[in-house]
Amino acid sequence: MRGRLPEGSGQRATARRARLAGIVVGLAAVLAVTGALLPFRSDLSRAVPALILVVPVVVAAVVGRRGAALVTALAGATLFSFTFVPPYDRVSIASAEDWVALAVFLLVAIVLGTVVAREAQRREAAEDRSEEIRRLYERNQQLVVERERLQEEANRVALMERVDEQRSALLRSVSHDLRTPLATIRTVTSDLREGPDYSTAARDQLLDLVGDEAERLNRLVENLLSLSRIESGALQPDCQAVALDEMIDDRVRKLERLLCHVRVDVELPPGLPLVHADYVQLDQVVSNLLENAARHAPADSTVRVSAQMQEGLVEVWVEDEGAGVPIAERDRIFEPFRRSHGSSSSGVGLAICKAIIEAHGGVVGVADSPSGGARFWFTIPAEPDTEPAD
Amino acid sequence: MEPLLVIEDESAMSTALRTALEARGYQVKTEETGEGALAAMVDAPPALVILDLGLPDMDGIDLCRVIRSRSTVPIIVVTADGAEGRKVAALDVGADDYVTKPFSMRELEARVRVGLRHREAREHLADAAVLQVGDLVVDVTHHWVTVGQQLVELTAKEFDFLAVLARNPGRVLTHGTILAEAWGAEGAGHVEYLRVYARSLRKKLSDDRANPRIVTEPGVGYRLVARQ
Repeated sequence: MRGRLPEGSGQRATARRARLAGIVVGLAAVLAVTGALLPFRSDLSRAVPALILVVPVVVAAVVGRRGAALVTALAGATLFSFTFVPPYDRVSIASAEDWVALAVFLLVAIVLGTVVAREAQRREAAEDRSEEIRRLYERNQQLVVERERLQEEANRVALMERVDEQRSALLRSVSHDLRTPLATIRTVTSDLREGPDYSTAARDQLLDLVGDEAERLNRLVENLLSLSRIESGALQPDCQAVALDEMIDDRVRKLERLLCHVRVDVELPPGLPLVHADYVQLDQVVSNLLENAARHAPADSTVRVSAQMQEGLVEVWVEDEGAGVPIAERDRIFEPFRRSHGSSSSGVGLAICKAIIEAHGGVVGVADSPSGGARFWFTIPAEPDTEPAD
Repeated sequence: MEPLLVIEDESAMSTALRTALEARGYQVKTEETGEGALAAMVDAPPALVILDLGLPDMDGIDLCRVIRSRSTVPIIVVTADGAEGRKVAALDVGADDYVTKPFSMRELEARVRVGLRHREAREHLADAAVLQVGDLVVDVTHHWVTVGQQLVELTAKEFDFLAVLARNPGRVLTHGTILAEAWGAEGAGHVEYLRVYARSLRKKLSDDRANPRIVTEPGVGYRLVARQ
């Protein structure tokens, strides 16, 4: 098989074919015009055939460019002198006037042919250029689309990496948090079975430890279940009128052992309205905040729980006398699995508080407490009918 | 005896350790933070330190290094399961022994006993020419080893390996430490040397499988204990 011609020689071949076609068309037109005018040559002035013979030259110029126009002009001049200039049927020319006519014809034909050929060439080049521009534009559009696709792909990959990262953080965090109480339970129970003869007091203390750690595991599992409900969008509060004082007292009593190293002061103002909330979910918020306070409160310090009414909302806060939360960490602390520096918690409790409170249309936050520790607060809508009128 | 110092931030585990060790006749002090522990050690030097590597305020490895720079007190580190690297790092910066959570109190107590038993001996052994660990005697000057007065013939490398262990009785030495001290730079990474030499040493010392002098700490290293 023959190799493909380089582009330049391909273009030259096309030009040669066009010139040949121009010459053929030009000559055919010259012959046709001459043939058509032949019967009337004695009636016509010499200017008529000369003018009409310019037409084939123009046609040849359009089709075959300047070369074809030249050949056609020469052929036209020859036929013109042969056919329409007396003495007829010979190339010889008798009068000086006819020489001038022939020369003028040739000049006009060549100039016109050249101008037309150049114009045709320019038009073709312009068409080529606009075609080129259109192609470039299309290519550009394709590239834009392609780039958008790649960008989307990159975003998707980045997102997946973030999800992966979060997921493995979750696994690390959860397995650590499940294992810590489990390790204590296993160590203590095996020791109770095979260890020394403990005094009744020591034995009770160890058994209490096992109970507390099991309780802690249970709370962790509850938090994890809530988290999965939050992630699947199934956290729909089932709201009713809830008495905060009863809920908080009950929760403090249930967490008595967890809070045994601190004093818990619950000071709710009298006449606090009921709140409009899902009891179980709000109870979990209070539980998580108390557990958080218990974790960070120094021994023998005070954990204060209080509330106040403000514009249709009830604001509740839990204060401890611990180290507080640095300002830089105050937003991040509510993100899942973001344990604060030095914290041994799973980092899901506060994230769950935020999700639950926000699902109730409230806000959650942390500030400094007057004693220098942390004050975790949230707002929750008051039950409309119970708001004391003033 | 001075108290044991338990450095553990998990209050449940800390209480469990205190209760269990006190019931076994030890005095126990507990600290929740690295800072607190360092302060407590200045006030009352403990007989032995039990250190949980996952502390809130300070990296456990760093704390281990600091304690070792100030004292020869035996340190037993407590690690979470699956943290092999942390364990080895702690041993390399001076911890004597380790337990992995969840551990049994019996196991911990055994390690506490080993740590306390060898504590005194170790202080004198560091520069000694004759190292005695139970009935095993390693004479560094004369390159002699005897077990219950019986001379044991060892190759040069076997002797070096045993001498490194005997200088640190009761202490877990990591593969890296033993290779560096007995083989130098050329030993780096060749854990298989240790397996070969430990096997031949055990044979020559007539070690009992159930109660060996040279104890393998799987994946971590070896230690030499006095035969009970």
